[in-house]
Amino acid sequence: MEYPEIDAYSSMDSPIHRFDPRAKIVSFTFLIFSLVFVNDIRVAFSGLVFSFFILLVSRLPPGFALKRIRMVFFFLFPLLLVMPLTVEGREIANISGISVTLDGLIFASLIIMRALAAVTLALTMLATTRFDMTMKTLYALKIPGTLVQMLMFTYRYIFVITDEFSRMWESMECKGFSLKANYHGLSIFGNMLGMIIIKSYDRTRRVYESMVSKGYSGRPRTLVHLKMSAKDYVLSTCMVGIAIFVHAYQFI
Amino acid sequence: MVEAIKVEDLNYSYSDGTKALEDIGLTIYEGEKVVVVGPNGAGKTTFFLHLNGTIKNPQGDVRVFGKRISDMKIEDRIHQVGVVFQDPDDQLFMPTVFDDVAFGPINMGLDEEEVEKRVNKALSKVGLEGFEKKVSHNLSYGQKKRVALAAVLSMEPKVLVLDEPTANLDPKSRADFISLISDLNERDGITTIIAMHDVNALPTLADRVYVLNKRIVAEGSPRDIFSDWSLLKDNSLEAPDVFKLFKVLNCFGYSSDDLPLSFDEAVEVLTRTIEGTEGHIHLHIHEHTHKEISHVMDSYNHHRNGKK
Ligand SMILES: Nc1ncnc2c1ncn2[C@@H]1O[C@H](COP(=O)(O)OP(=O)(O)OP(=O)(O)O)[C@@H](O)[C@H]1O
Ligand SMILES: [Mg+2]
Repeated sequence: MEYPEIDAYSSMDSPIHRFDPRAKIVSFTFLIFSLVFVNDIRVAFSGLVFSFFILLVSRLPPGFALKRIRMVFFFLFPLLLVMPLTVEGREIANISGISVTLDGLIFASLIIMRALAAVTLALTMLATTRFDMTMKTLYALKIPGTLVQMLMFTYRYIFVITDEFSRMWESMECKGFSLKANYHGLSIFGNMLGMIIIKSYDRTRRVYESMVSKGYSGRPRTLVHLKMSAKDYVLSTCMVGIAIFVHAYQFI
Repeated sequence: MVEAIKVEDLNYSYSDGTKALEDIGLTIYEGEKVVVVGPNGAGKTTFFLHLNGTIKNPQGDVRVFGKRISDMKIEDRIHQVGVVFQDPDDQLFMPTVFDDVAFGPINMGLDEEEVEKRVNKALSKVGLEGFEKKVSHNLSYGQKKRVALAAVLSMEPKVLVLDEPTANLDPKSRADFISLISDLNERDGITTIIAMHDVNALPTLADRVYVLNKRIVAEGSPRDIFSDWSLLKDNSLEAPDVFKLFKVLNCFGYSSDDLPLSFDEAVEVLTRTIEGTEGHIHLHIHEHTHKEISHVMDSYNHHRNGKK
C-alpha cells in the first residue's frame, strides 16, 4: 500500500536537510508567523519569493511540492473572485451596477500570498525532516508531552487505520458492493465508518495495555540526540533576522 | 526449584458478564518452557493479561517469584515478566523501531548508554540489526512480530510470555521464530510461557503443557497430553501429524516405546528402531488391523468427521 507520506524525501541532501531540526523548527515557525502578519503586499510578495527560494534550495522534487501548494491555491482562489466584489474601496470596473474594487483585489492577493508563503515554508520544513525526528524535536523543545504523544499516535496509527479501511473496502467490493449515492450505499458506508471507529477504540485499549506492560506511567520519554553546529546558528540567525526585518524595516 | 509464576484460585469475568477464567491454579518453575493450549475463547489471552499488570487487582493470587503481582512496583514487574501479544500493530506504537525497542528500558530508568546497548542486543537477537531507524508501518508482518519481541527482550525479563507467536508467519519465519524462542529458553535461561494452536511446533517449545478451557483441564508432558485423545476431543485440540502417523504405524505392527512428536524426533526414533532390529522393520496387515486403524482415525480426526 502506498501512503502519501510527507517525509518521503527527507533522506535527500541539501542545506535545508542538514539544518539542525531544532533550529529548523524554531526559525521556520518564526518566519511563518512573521510572514502571516505582513500587511504590505510588496513585502508579502517578497516573502513568497523568498519561501520559493528556500524550497528551491531544499531540492525537493518540484512536482511533490507544487502538488500540495496548488491544492492550497485552489482552496483560496475563490477569494480573488469574491473579495473585489465585497470589499469597499477604489473602483476599477463596474459590472451591471456591481462595483469591482482595487482594494478588494489587493486584499485577496495579500491573503493568498501570505498563505502560500506559509504553506511553502511549512511544507519545506516538514518534508526535509523525518517525521519521527520532527516529533522528537518538538519533545526536545519542551512542547507539552500530551500534544507530542497525540501527534506520535496519530502518525503511527493513521497507517494502520488506512490499511484497515482499505481491507474492509476491498472485502466489500469483493462481495459486489459499489458506493452509490443512494440510501443503501450511504447507510452501508456509515456502518463501515462506525466499524472503523469501534475497531480503533478496541485497538486503543490494546495499545494502552501493551504500553502499561512496558512500564508506561503517563510520561512519554524518548532519546533525542541533537547537536547544533556554527552553521546552524548562522542559518537560523539569518532566517529570524529576515522574519524581524519584514516588520521592522518601516521604523528604520 | 524456584517458582517463577504461581497462580491460585484465579477467576475473571469481563464486564459484559463473560466468565473467562475459573479457579485457575498453576505453577511454573524457573527455566521451564510451558505451553498453554486451549480452543478459541478458552481464556489464554485473558490469563496472560494477568501476568503483565493490565488487570490491576486480580480476583485470586498471582505471584511472580514469590511476590504478589499487584504489590510489585512497575519497574520490578517489567523486569520480571514480559508479555508479547498476538497483534504486533498493538505493540509497536512509537514512530521508529528504535523508539519501540527503547520504550521499556527508558521506562525502567536506565541511562542512555545502557538503553542503546540493550536495543542493539535485542535487535540482533531477533535478527534485525540495522533496522533502528525504520518506521513500523513500512515493515512486513513477520518483521513487526520480531520487533514486538525485541521490544520485550530489551527489558531482559526473566519470564517471557508469548501469545500465539507463530500465527500468520511464513514457514521460514515460523521455523526461525521457534528456534529463537527455544534458544532464549535454553541458552539464556529465560522461562517461557506460550499460548498456541500450532501443535506441530509445540513439542519443541514445551517441557510441560497446560490445557486451559476456562479452567485448567489437564497438565502433563506433551506426550501425555497428546496420548489422551478424549481430552483432545473434549477441548477441540489436535495431535501433531507425526504423532498420529506413528499411531497408525503401531496398528501395522510397528512398535516403539516412545511415539515421536516432531519430524526430527521421528527420524531419530525410526533410525533407532530400524538399527535395533537388524536393519529392517516389519509391517503387516492382519484381520483386526483395519478396525484398529479406523479406531485411531476416529479418535484423532474428531474435527473432520464430527463423530461422537
Ligand atoms: N474485552 C472483552 N470483553 C468481553 N469479553 C471478552 C473480551 N475479551 C475476551 N472476551 C471473552 O473472554 C473469553 C476468553 O477470551 P480470550 O481472548 O482470553 O481467549 P483465547 O483463549 O485467547 O482465544 P484465542 O485462541 O481465540 O485467542 C471469550 O469468550 C471472549 O469472547
Ligand atoms: Mg488469544
